[in-house]
This record gives sequence, structure tokens and C-alpha cells, in this order.
Amino acid sequence: MKPAASKPQAKPAVKPTDVIVEKKVEVVQKEEKPVAEKITIGELHLSGCTGCLVTLADNYEGLFKLLDDYADLVYALTLVDVRHVPEMDVCLVEGSCCLDDKLSVEELKEARAKSKVLVAYGACAAYGNITRFCRGGQWNQPGQEAFVPISEVVDVDLYIPSCPPCPQEVRNVAVMAYLLLRGNDEQKNLATAYLTPLMQLAQRGNEACGCDLMYDVINQGLCMGCGTCAGTCPVRAVTMEYGRPNVNRDLCIKCGACYSQCPRSWFNFDVMNNYEGIMDAIKGAMQ
Amino acid sequence: MDVLGNYKSAISARSTDKDILKKAQDGGIITTLFAYALEEGIIDGAIVAGPSNEPWKPEPMVATTKAELLAAAGTRYTISPNLYLIKEATRSYGLDRVGIVGTPCQIQAVRKAQLYPIGMRDVDDKIALALGIYCMENLSYQALEAMVEDHCNQKMESVKKMDIGKGKFTVYTERGAVSQMPLKLIHKYVQPGCHVCLDYVANLADISSGSVGSPDGWSTVFVRSTKGNAVWDGAIKAGCFETKPMDQVKPGLDLVRKLATEKITKNQKNVDARKTVGLKADGTPKGLRNPYESP
Amino acid sequence: MSKVVEISPTTRHEGHSKLVLKVNDDGIVERGDWLSITPVRGVEKLAIGKTMEQVPKIASRVCGICPIAHTLAAVEAMEASIGCEIPEDAKLLRYILQCANRMHSHALHNILSLPDMYIPGTDTKINPFTKEEPVRSVALRIQRIREIAQTIGETVGGEAIHPSNPRVGGMYRNISPRAKAKIYDLAKEARVLTQQQMEFMIAVFRNYQRRDWAEVGGVQVPIPKDLGYHNQGYMATAPVYGSSSLDENPTWFPERFTEVRPWDWYMGEVEISEADPNYPIGGTTPVGTKAWPQMEACTGVPLYDGQPIEVGPRARQAIFKNYDEKGTIGLQVARQMEFPETAYGIIDALDALDTSGAVVAETIPQGDGSLGWAANEAPRGTDVHLARVKDGRVQYFSMLVPTTWNFPTCSRALEGAPWRLAEVVMRGYDPCVSCATHMLVIDEDKRLVAQKLIQ
Ligand SMILES: Cc1cc2nc3c(=O)[nH]c(=O)nc-3n(C[C@H](O)[C@H](O)[C@H](O)COP(=O)(O)OP(=O)(O)OC[C@H]3O[C@@H](n4cnc5c(N)ncnc54)[C@H](O)[C@@H]3O)c2cc1C
Ligand code: SF4
Ligand code: SF4
Ligand code: SF4
Ligand code: SF4
Repeated sequence: MKPAASKPQAKPAVKPTDVIVEKKVEVVQKEEKPVAEKITIGELHLSGCTGCLVTLADNYEGLFKLLDDYADLVYALTLVDVRHVPEMDVCLVEGSCCLDDKLSVEELKEARAKSKVLVAYGACAAYGNITRFCRGGQWNQPGQEAFVPISEVVDVDLYIPSCPPCPQEVRNVAVMAYLLLRGNDEQKNLATAYLTPLMQLAQRGNEACGCDLMYDVINQGLCMGCGTCAGTCPVRAVTMEYGRPNVNRDLCIKCGACYSQCPRSWFNFDVMNNYEGIMDAIKGAMQ
Repeated sequence: MDVLGNYKSAISARSTDKDILKKAQDGGIITTLFAYALEEGIIDGAIVAGPSNEPWKPEPMVATTKAELLAAAGTRYTISPNLYLIKEATRSYGLDRVGIVGTPCQIQAVRKAQLYPIGMRDVDDKIALALGIYCMENLSYQALEAMVEDHCNQKMESVKKMDIGKGKFTVYTERGAVSQMPLKLIHKYVQPGCHVCLDYVANLADISSGSVGSPDGWSTVFVRSTKGNAVWDGAIKAGCFETKPMDQVKPGLDLVRKLATEKITKNQKNVDARKTVGLKADGTPKGLRNPYESP
Repeated sequence: MSKVVEISPTTRHEGHSKLVLKVNDDGIVERGDWLSITPVRGVEKLAIGKTMEQVPKIASRVCGICPIAHTLAAVEAMEASIGCEIPEDAKLLRYILQCANRMHSHALHNILSLPDMYIPGTDTKINPFTKEEPVRSVALRIQRIREIAQTIGETVGGEAIHPSNPRVGGMYRNISPRAKAKIYDLAKEARVLTQQQMEFMIAVFRNYQRRDWAEVGGVQVPIPKDLGYHNQGYMATAPVYGSSSLDENPTWFPERFTEVRPWDWYMGEVEISEADPNYPIGGTTPVGTKAWPQMEACTGVPLYDGQPIEVGPRARQAIFKNYDEKGTIGLQVARQMEFPETAYGIIDALDALDTSGAVVAETIPQGDGSLGWAANEAPRGTDVHLARVKDGRVQYFSMLVPTTWNFPTCSRALEGAPWRLAEVVMRGYDPCVSCATHMLVIDEDKRLVAQKLIQ
């Protein structure tokens, strides 16, 4: 726990301290890098709360590591000055899409067209989350009432559920996306194996609820009572009663965390059996 | 992967701590390792199956002292949802280094929470020691009640110890009575989720342990991860365990491998059978969800 | 003749907003309209009929930067409605959460403000993401402060973002002695770091204040000495925490509150008549585009004593500490001055905390429909939630959030500034726009809710 301020500079700077202006950003992107060429990441903010973006920033020192070595942050209204959706490798979309707001729909489609991998980042984008409860009627825009998970409007490649998602998960996805797009064959295979279940989640559908534990785990004869779901729920809606989850449906916000964290929603042995190596690799990448 | 998982060494061992052996199920491996790790500051606390207000019904708890570990020692053959506390341990309990014990499926859950920390913020690097216990199957509390009270004809609250071994489920009462029932009768009581379980000896734990393979009162231990290895070496140096090489004990690793193979083969069949359980209109089979393929 | 410039969307703050500016021939703003264009999720309306436990969980999710403020204000509005007093130790835990949230939020805002500022003694603006020193060390210090604050928030609140531990009637769990010791250590470290950070930021802001010009999109823009001045009043309910209708002497006064609709406040339809494609990054809105603030605005315009007022760090210090340096820099400096006290506040509350004390009220009434309110001093200003709860269900819910108060005030503060510095003025308020899409509604016959409150 050393104070960050006394940390020595790790590597020689590759670009001058300067204003972030458009021209300079372009120059920087063409510059030689000490590591393989970075990928570009952006964050599109729709009807979310910015908690997802704060989550990304909550990698703390690791955020700088990611930005120094693996990814240029080319878009995120809250963090950088770029005003309009640019081309990017990975676009994290935060928030659901308000169908009654033309700009939201347009920006989402633009982001899809301009990105290689589009991620539903967080529960609002993936499942609607609290915006599933929206029903309009509030000034000054009482007509804004239809909010949908982004996959109702565009194709989505990958899901990162939960409200908020976790800094470590978005970090892992960013590192894996880098390996997928810039790595050698072995790294690409690893990244594909890691990302597959998150891509399958995107295919599974855009409805989530604590009820999934009943429908898709207990009712399917798969629950073994580990308690993960109850430990995961960010609103404490799940308790364990005689070894099975009970969901307080009047508390659930429909974030999808419990189901996707449950080891019986999916469990990929090809990745899990290498947990030590993969965790070391991610740790190493962040050092 | 082999049915026994990756491991660096397999040892037969028993705790040197008499207090622990008195309370523990087998060789007291789990309780002793946690007590050692607490002492050494390797963990700040451990999530174990603590007592509750119903007899033999475990309740997950965070133990931060040896006394608390002792209160949770011994096997309860029913579900203790230990993962329930995994995030909370790092929150209001204030642990930075968490120990956790669990059945193979629970250790799978731990690793998933670390590799895919979807709703498990700031947990992945705080899991300091994950200890696994072998597991053939688990039971609901009501099932355990039926076994003890109906088949073995004992009251839950009078039971001192329960054990599974040599083809029997055995209960020992406070007053010294011993009742048994054959294991094959418990099949109807096994919780359904266990029928698709493909891990017997907690392949993903740092260290895993169970009674099978070693003599009574001893445990078979697999030291698996780098972290587990360091902890095991330290505990041995500190004199926490008596050990014997696995190839010098009876019945030995072969029995462990045999049981593991049986379990996994049987359950793999169950997993496959789920694919054709139903019938589609066109006469082809209709399947149930397979967690090993996709969510 | 005045021309109209539009900056849309604005950047480096939470949410979506835009600036529609009438400027004179010298590029000075004659009238500025700053408005939210974030879709309205309508939390106040979707809350109706839901349980009093769930609504604060939903309310938290209007903002991920100050979720603690929204959770606490919502929980306490429920408690105020049902008349539930919570145990002292629960209050202390909430106080710790409050301080932790302010610490992280102010630190985050540093990152968002720095790119407008210069490294003292140079004409180089600060890019917080550069690897170069001295910036990298400062950026890492900011992240460490945030890490400490978020870790404390997580330990006490269950989650760093959207706390899960607060509940109607208190808190789900007290913290362990170990957690208390951990927080203590973190807060002590933060005491030093926040002091350093405050000093650094104040030096940077003072340096800006002394400069004659700032470069924006290749243009040297003169910095007026009265950048961001306004003559509106202030509103604050406490130096750190807040107030509620359960208090013996409440410090927020519903009868002083009124609200007008954007239709009566913002500009009518205008056509953009000036544009700068080099304005960073992506240029301003092209000439010929139409803008219609009074139709597009997503928030109402709340007034206190009939006027727009400012809420936030300066308002707190003007009311409780005799601080009143005007303008954008004055506001920024006031924010930094709140930094160290967040660490001290945590330490003081910890000293008073009994980790074995009860944290949930013994009885939690289910409510008879009475109106209760709770005001929370969120990082960016007073956040007032109002609720009626009957039989455990929410009948009425309203959120008067900080940036809603500041929208009209800041719009006034834009007057007299060069339009290219309008975003600098706006960012001074640390806007949080997503939550600002919520407002108290005047009911159909135009009677004010405020009047009903005092009946
Ligand atoms: C359901 C079940 C089935 C088992 N099946 C087998 C088997 O087929 N073959 C075999 O060799 N061993 C099996 N075991 C393991 C065995 O019973 C012992 O738990 C193991 O050998 C550890 O003994 P010990 O003396 O080293 O541990 P101890 O020092 O007694 O510590 C045991 C630890 O496990 C925890 N624990 C107790 N019950 C549970 C539970 N239900 N869930 C999670 N944690 C718990 C306790 O809190 C304690 O910390 C099974 C255990 C369980 C719970
Ligand atoms: S998922 Fe949660 S944190 Fe993310 S935008 Fe939605 S409410 Fe906010
Ligand atoms: S039960 Fe909890 S974790 Fe599951 S979807 Fe609902 S809110 Fe999310
Ligand atoms: S996480 Fe899944 S398997 Fe574990 S208790 Fe919950 S539903 Fe059951
Ligand atoms: S058999 Fe498998 S699923 Fe069942 S409790 Fe044991 S480890 Fe878990």
C-alpha cells in the first residue's frame, strides 16, 4: 500500500504531455509503440448511470496499465473530449436504449457500424436492469417510456452482466480482446476460449431475473446449493433456504449477475482447468 | 485431465493437534491447515460450515480464531452454501485474505468467481486458500433427517458423528450407539444437482482432502496449486502433520481413482442422457440444458 | 447582432447535456442555456407501487458516481415517511459512506477538470492519461485516493458502486473489528494524500486564474477575471451529511421551494448561426441546425425563494464556513477544500462506532402515507428525496438532485464568458446529468407540492 505519488516512472514516455486535440490523437495512433499495436476501445453511454464507466476506472493503477500498453480509449464522453462516435475495435455500450430518443438509437447503430466487437457492458445494456421497470410519465419528457436492452436494436457480440459489472471482469475482457485481436495463435485460442461463454450469454437472450435461478438451474435439476447466487446479488435479493436460493422478487432489479455467476449456468472446463495459468497471465499482463 | 486432477503430490496425513483430531471428521486436514494459515497470516479468516440452530444443519460462517474453526470441524452431510459469504467476507468482515472450504462444486464456483468475476468485485485476488473436500454426493437437510431418523432410527440432536465409508452411512450417538444403513439406499435422497457433477476430489482446490484411500483417522491429501504447495510445505515444516507416502498406505490411491472414475463415468452418462430426455414433434430427441456446453 | 453557437454533447462530466449559447460579436455569451438531453428513465414514476425496500435500490442506480447519496437520501426519505428512527451505529456507518463517496467523487472530478488546466509555469495543458511526470504521479495519487474511498465504501456499504448494505431501518450488517481497523488504516493514508492532492489542485486552479488566455481548438481565448460569476444564492443543509423531516430542526425548507417547467425558462426554437469545426474534438454543431431548448430539456427548473440557487461545495462552505469566492475557480477551490475533511470525518465516525452495536431498528413501521423527505449533501450538492409510504409500498416518490438545482444557476454563470470557455464553467459544477433527469412535478392545477407539504 505505498502511496501512488511516490511511484517512479516505469517506462520512458512515448508521447509529449499535451492537450488532447483531434490531430494529436491521430498522430499518436500511428506512432511506434513499445508493445504490439494497441487496440482501440470506446464507451458509448446510453440510458445508464455511468456506474459501469466508473467500474472501468476502478481498476485504479491498472487503468493506466491498460491504457499505456493495450488499449487507447478513443471515446467516452465522461472521460475524453471526443464528441462523436469514432471507429473502434471494441465498443463497450453502457445503458439501455431509449427508443423514444432518436439520438440514442442513432448513436447505438453508429457504434455497431463502427466497431469490431460490440459489448453490452453492464446489466442495463445487456438485460435492461432497472430500466425494465420504466413506464414513462415523468416530466420533462413524459413520452420517454420505451427502454430496451441494446440487443433489441443491434447485434451484440458479448455480454458483461451485473450492476455494476466488476472492474476485474472488464479488465479480463479487455486483456482477452487485446489477445484476440493482436495476439499469436495460441493467445487467440485462449482468448476465444475465455470469451466464448460471454458470447453465448449474448446469444441466450436479453431477459434476466432472479427467477432464472428457478427456471434454468433448480427446475432443470442442476442446483447443488453452493450459495454463489446469494453471495453475488448486488441488492441482497437472494437468500439460501435449506440449500436452495430464494429470490425476493420485490427486490430483484433484473441484473443477471446471479445466473451468470452460478457455476451451473455454465462451466467451461477448458478454461477453468487452467485457472492458475490464466490468472497468472492476466496478473503478469497488468504488471 | 485425469479424474484426480492436476496435483503436485499426494500424501496420507493426519493432524498432530489432539484438540483438532477430537473434533475433525478424518485426519483433521482442513481445520489444521486453516489454523496454521491463520497463525501465519496467510489468511485473515476462513469460510467454514458453522453451527446453526437446527441440529446438523450447517450455516456458513467466517472463522477468524482456532476456537471458531473447531466449532465448525467435522462433516455435515448436507448443504452448507459457503459461497454465500465469499463477497461479504471481503466487505463487512474486512478480510483481505480469505480461506474457504468446499465440496468440489463449491471450489468450481470459487474458480469461476475468480476467472469470471461478473458480480464478484474485488474478490478474485483475495482468495488466499481454497481447500476442497472430496464428495460423492450431497443431501438436502430433509433427506439427511430421513436417513438418520427413519433408516438409522436415531434423533438428529443425539447424533455425535456421521460418516460415510465402506459402503455404509454410519451414525454415532452421544450415548455410544452406532447405527448404519447401506449406501445404496441413499440414492433416492441425493440432491439432483449431484447427478451431473464431474469432479470427485476437488480438482480445482489449492489442496484437497478426504478419507478415501487412507486408513481410518487418516486423510488422503492432494497438493495441487503453487499456492497450495507453499502452504503445505510450511505446515509440514511447522510440524502440523504426520505423513505417510501414499504408496505405503492401504487402500491407497487406486481406490480413490476407482471411485472417482465411477462417479465421473456415471455422471457423464447422466449429462449425456439429459440430451435425449424428451421428444420433439419430428420424432428426434429433445434435451435439457447442459451447463458444460453453454449457459 | 447576437449569434447562436451550440456545443453538443458536452464532455467530461456524467451524462448527456448540451450548451446553447447566444453570443455577441466578440464571442461573449449573452445568454446561455445549459440543458440535459439524457433520456428520462422516470424513476419517480416507476417507483410508485413498489416496495419501500426496492425503491432506494433503484434510486441508487440513477447515478454511479454518487450512488451512495441517492441510496441514503432514498432510504432516509422512506424512513422519514414511516417515522423510523435508526440506531446510532447505523447512522455512523452511513456517515462513513457519505465521506467515502465524497472523497472518491471529488478525486474523479479532478481527472475531468485537469485537461482544461495548465501545468503551472508552462503553456502545456494537462492530459491526465499521459505517462509523463509530474502528471503521472498526480494521476496515480488520484487513483489511490479513489481506491481508498471505494474500498471503504465497499467495506461499509457492501458494494463500492450502488451500496447494498443500507436498508430501510438502518443497515443490514455492522462491520467487524477487523474491518474497522482496515478502514482506519486506509483513512489515515487518505488524510495525507487528500491534503497533498488539495494543495496540488488549488495551485493548478490558481495558476489558471492568473493566466490571461487559454487555448481552445487552436484559438487563444482571453480568460475573464470574473469567469463563471453569478449573483444567485446558495443552498446547503449541512457541511457533510444532510437533514430530514425527522430532524428536530430540519435545515431544508420545503415551503421555500418552487419549480417552473423548462417551457417557461429555456429559449424557444433557434437556428445555429455560428460554428467552429476545430472546437475540440469534433467541432460545434454546424450552422443551420435547429435547437429548441424548451422542448429538448430533460429537467425542470427548481427555485428556492423564487430564484435558481447554487448547491455543492461552495454553497456548503458559504453557508457553514464563510467562504465565498465567486466564479468557476472559486467553486473548484471550494471543492478541493472539502478533500481532507472527508478523511477526518471517517476517522471521527470510526472512533464513535461500536462494532457490536445493533444497526437495524427494532420495529420498522410500514407507513401510513405521510410525506417525508431527506436531504443528502451529495458531492455535487443537496440531493432531496421525498416519499410517501403506505403499508410498505411507495405511493409517491420524488428526487430533487444536485445538478437539477445547478442547471439554471450555471446557465446564468455563463453570461459574460467567452463561449469557448463555457464548458470550463459548466464543468466547475461537476455535473451529474443522468440523475438530473428527475424533478419534482407540479401537479395539474399548478399548486405546488411544496404547499401541500406544509399543510
Ligand atoms: C457432502 C459431503 C460428501 C463427502 N463425501 C466424501 C467421500 O465420498 N469421500 C471422502 O473421502 N470424503 C468425503 N467427504 C469429505 C470428508 O467427509 C471430510 O470432510 C474430509 O475428509 C475432511 O476431513 P478433515 O478431518 O480433514 O476435516 P475437518 O477438520 O473435519 O474439517 C472439515 C471442514 O469441512 C467443512 N464442512 C463440513 N461440512 C461441510 C459441508 N457440507 N459443505 C462444506 N463444507 C463443510 C467444515 O466446516 C470444516 O471446516 C465428504 C464431505 C461432504 C461434506
Ligand atoms: S448496469 Fe448498473 S452500474 Fe451500469 S449503468 Fe446500469 S444501473 Fe448503472
Ligand atoms: S436476484 Fe439479484 S443478482 Fe439476480 S437478477 Fe435479481 S438483482 Fe440481479
Ligand atoms: S449459484 Fe447456482 S448452483 Fe449455486 S446455489 Fe445458486 S442456483 Fe444453486
Ligand atoms: S456431488 Fe458434486 S455437486 Fe454434489 S455436492 Fe458433491 S461436489 Fe457438489
